[in-house]
Amino acid sequence: MSEPARDIAMNMDRFRAALLDTVGVGLAVVEPNEFRLLIHNAMFAEWFPGVDDGGARLLDILPDVDLPMAKARLGEQRSWKFEVEVKPKRRTIVLAVEVAPAEGAVAGELMVQCQNISKIRELEYMIESYSNMIERQNRDLRKEKERVEKLLLNIMPQQVYEEWKEFGVTTPHRYDAASVLMLDFVGFTEMSIRYEPTKLIAELNDIFTGFDRIVEQFGCERLKTIGDAYVAVAGVPEPNPDHARNIAQVALRFVRFLKRRNSTSEFEWRCRVGISSGPVIGSVVGVQKYVYDIFGPGMNLAARLEPLCQPMEILVSGDTHALIGNDFAFSNLGMHDIRGFGPKAVYRLEGDFGAANDAAFG
Amino acid sequence: MFEKYGGFGAVSKVVSAFYDKVLDSDVIGPYFDDVDMRRLVDHQTKFISDTMGGPASYSNEALRKVHAPHRIDRDANLEMARLLRETLLEFDIEPADVDAIMAEIEARSAYVISGPAT
Repeated sequence: MSEPARDIAMNMDRFRAALLDTVGVGLAVVEPNEFRLLIHNAMFAEWFPGVDDGGARLLDILPDVDLPMAKARLGEQRSWKFEVEVKPKRRTIVLAVEVAPAEGAVAGELMVQCQNISKIRELEYMIESYSNMIERQNRDLRKEKERVEKLLLNIMPQQVYEEWKEFGVTTPHRYDAASVLMLDFVGFTEMSIRYEPTKLIAELNDIFTGFDRIVEQFGCERLKTIGDAYVAVAGVPEPNPDHARNIAQVALRFVRFLKRRNSTSEFEWRCRVGISSGPVIGSVVGVQKYVYDIFGPGMNLAARLEPLCQPMEILVSGDTHALIGNDFAFSNLGMHDIRGFGPKAVYRLEGDFGAANDAAFG
Repeated sequence: MFEKYGGFGAVSKVVSAFYDKVLDSDVIGPYFDDVDMRRLVDHQTKFISDTMGGPASYSNEALRKVHAPHRIDRDANLEMARLLRETLLEFDIEPADVDAIMAEIEARSAYVISGPAT
């Protein structure tokens, strides 16, 4: 080798050595029997302080290594990989170690490569914890959404809610064939003075829940409650040719439900029920405070009839009677002068003829 | 601010670099001798995200609870703040935003410091 060529070769050796020390990978070469370290770079020495003393074995610095398994794998010319934690300074470092037959080895020397994967582990941990957090938040949001949905379904019918959800607004609808039922309790004001409030409201709540079930059973809709008054409607928002019949059934069940309840309770609930049929308009009213409500003469007449009732009576307007006069037992109470309407025919609903129907509806 | 700088991914890079500085510091490094860095980096990422208006939240009580055993004093807290400010600026967070983050952190330092005043 000429002088300049030797210089270049020497420089290259120095360059390679310098290169080995600047890479961020820990590198070492070990002999194949006891895995004693032959050479290593600066990064390796930084992670495994003590190897600089010379003659160290891989097992001295990595005591938990499964040696027989390592030898078996290397014997098959496969590389042997594992992870190890070291703490040369303050920070615990996770290293991915790979031991493999060294390229160009003369006596089966092995190359040991160590990569610092601490940051990857930190990120993996964070991704998992982050996705858990998001999942938790999603769960909470879902729960909240269900709660809101349930609340909204309390103040508007499902069909109207669907429209509101999809378009953000609802349009008022006119329903030509609808029946309205209005109920309130005789002497509720006195009851509210006489009884303990929690107990009274619990009772009222129970009764309204019972009413809701009856209303649902007959395909009607609870519109709202105002204090002790309960308003139900049939034919809104789902058109129903049997609206008058169904609302009459509901009214009879309400009275029967209360009678049965009174027979075993310290409370005596006595209701008045007014029913009327006719066109109504149904709409969500309000911007900040939504309420679904219906408007129309049917609604008003039911409200006017109800105060005319004796306790536990159901009064229906002539319009309703015209629709179901043959299906139920009525008493004709003659004409009554009703505020805002003038003289109107009023009937008392006494019961239904269809015992078979009764059985079917329980 | 959280979205502006790229969400969790960006914050986690800042936090990771910040802890490299922290562990190298002789003033506050020793506090972290026996700490699981994965958990710490995770919590700190969420906490910084929180101060930037991100979707995480730590109550003052939670802050007090996790820091109390370490008896952190004012000096350590100041050093921590100095390194965080430095890191945030290195990651090109606008100075006004850095001020806002640091002000938020400073406002809650009472729940972090529990050691004797030096």
